[in-house]
Amino acid sequence: MQWLYVYLPSLQLDSLLHQQAYDEACVLVHQNQVVQANTQARQLGITLGTGLAAAALLCAQLKVIAYDHKHEQRLLRQLAQRLYQTSATLYLDPPQGLLLQTSDMLKLYKGIAAYWQRLQQPLIERGLHYHYASAHSPLAAQVLARAGNDRLLNNTQEANTLLAQLPIQRVGLAAKLTQQLERLGLNTLGQAQALPRSALGQRLGQELVTYLQQLDHTKAPAKTNYQPPERFRQGLELLYDIELSSALRFPLRRLLDDLEAFLAPRKLQAGGLNLSLHYRELPAEKVHIGCSGGEYRAQVWLNLAMLHLEQLQLQAPIIAMRLSTSGQHSWEPLSNQLFEPQGGKLTADQLISRLQNKLGNHAVQQVFLRDDHRPERSFYQGLPKTHAAAPNATVCLRPSLLLTIPKALHHKPNHQWCVMSGPERIQSGWWDNVSICRDYFIARNPLGQVCWLFRTPTEEWFLHGYFA
Amino acid sequence: MALTQLNQLEQQRLVWRARQVVAPDQRRQSSFYPALDKHLQGGWPQAGLVELACGSAGIGEIRLLLPLLAQAKPRLQVWINPPAELNGQALAQHGINLSQTLLVRCQNPQHALWSAEQSLTSGCCSHLLLWGPNLTSTQAKRLQVAAKDNQVLMFWLHNQPAPSTSALPISVRLSLAPQATGLSLKIYKSQGQWPQHPCHINMHTLWPSLAAQPQPVANNIVVLPAQAQ
Repeated sequence: MQWLYVYLPSLQLDSLLHQQAYDEACVLVHQNQVVQANTQARQLGITLGTGLAAAALLCAQLKVIAYDHKHEQRLLRQLAQRLYQTSATLYLDPPQGLLLQTSDMLKLYKGIAAYWQRLQQPLIERGLHYHYASAHSPLAAQVLARAGNDRLLNNTQEANTLLAQLPIQRVGLAAKLTQQLERLGLNTLGQAQALPRSALGQRLGQELVTYLQQLDHTKAPAKTNYQPPERFRQGLELLYDIELSSALRFPLRRLLDDLEAFLAPRKLQAGGLNLSLHYRELPAEKVHIGCSGGEYRAQVWLNLAMLHLEQLQLQAPIIAMRLSTSGQHSWEPLSNQLFEPQGGKLTADQLISRLQNKLGNHAVQQVFLRDDHRPERSFYQGLPKTHAAAPNATVCLRPSLLLTIPKALHHKPNHQWCVMSGPERIQSGWWDNVSICRDYFIARNPLGQVCWLFRTPTEEWFLHGYFA
Repeated sequence: MALTQLNQLEQQRLVWRARQVVAPDQRRQSSFYPALDKHLQGGWPQAGLVELACGSAGIGEIRLLLPLLAQAKPRLQVWINPPAELNGQALAQHGINLSQTLLVRCQNPQHALWSAEQSLTSGCCSHLLLWGPNLTSTQAKRLQVAAKDNQVLMFWLHNQPAPSTSALPISVRLSLAPQATGLSLKIYKSQGQWPQHPCHINMHTLWPSLAAQPQPVANNIVVLPAQAQ
């Protein structure tokens, strides 16, 4: 079996800087030590392991960001998600490594060069620094990649030669063990390999023996391989605080592009998005962006999201954003427009979601029928569904405009009213405790409005609607 | 002197020249009321903005449009800010496809206009009804252009007794007045046509119980019990 290891020594820093096109010296610091530094910082003499105080002395304008282990793991998973489209079997090796099984994929890509070219693309797009190596065993590939080997080796012999030449400090053994080996005068890995294993085991412990065995062990590592998530969920840490909600467009665009890259190959659409905007101290601002028909394209989502964000008043600067989908379903092509003379720019669903996102869900509604003889309950308003089946309408004449609350008439309709039909008695409703007993009349009032009136058993008159 | 005045009047769109008619779209859609079709020379325009000054809500303005809406192609019909709740039963009774009917309600008049423009430009909507107090010349122009470009017939209904006085750049302007037999229509403007006499719409044929027959008979009127006392 053939293995490829990709080592990303400054994953978190590269991602942060690439997102925001920052080109000044910048370092990540963990426990007062520089753990990742960009090229500009290295040029100033800052190396990994430099103390924070020393680094600050070397560069007064140094941008210092805290290293976040969890964030880096998230980034690694995001990268794996992207590489999964190229390579089937891959293993996460947190915090900064990815192990890929290449033997199965070589047939598809016709050679390791073409395969590696495809793999490299997302790494370059994200502006990541990386080292890589391929070898016969997972551990050998890892050790060679971490040593900055950057070669695709085909045969075991070549890999073993390279491994044997590696200085003992750079093979990833524990610091104590490395020290012990150095004291024995073993300066390269090859020298240690040449010694009998049993003797090494007795003097230096089982750990080293296992390590050496692992170097030749070509089987897959004893952990489950990476499985892409079912749902989209991604975050973005901002290098600058954003105070204007309209300026959120650019980082949001990046997240939505990732969303599109997630949904499109799966032939999925998101029915809605949950966007949370994180403040430094206040609880996060949550925004739900709906799209009634479902959508996967970043541009469409961006337009919908901006309708929300333009109305949003930020209470404090935003430092991070998270985006997740609410409801994913498979994508159905719309075929209803094929023979229409003029192609619409939007489908009905898209128009509805655009209106809903600006005006709120309650403002955009559709009328549905219900099987009930009481006028108020014979229909209801709800969220639009453009493909709903409706029950049959009543055969009795009903007004097109109905008052929500019947308006009491202060006096009985007099001779100026012209009654055109009636009475029609609508009664009962004992099953849900909203019992009514009304005699309905259709009458034209002095203004010429054709009104729907009713009389209660207590001789009170109400106006209930207009035959507009 | 006279010429500058004429120029001023022209700039205010108060002068209409017969040669300005740039071949108006002659395609018409029938209103399903023979009298109205005759007066509008074939019916409502295919696309554009129509102003209906109703005087007061409920005199039959929706009935005037129902036959047209019921016959429309299965595309979205948007109703923005109707003056009361839309009774689905009544609409469905007259053949309106409720699944293609969208109801938009917003307090802010700017939002209502925004929704109207979005619906017009979406290209998925065939008719639009907007209830609103008044439109400025710019707003009317935008709606008219959007409606024409996207082949939507838009009705703007309001409760003033006559169309607004300013020369709005829209297709048709009418005022409605109630009558026992239906409606009386006064056509103030119809693009590409000469002025017309008022026209009487007979609603008795479609709604026998809501409108009297054109020759009213005295015993048609039912006397309320209230008056007998």
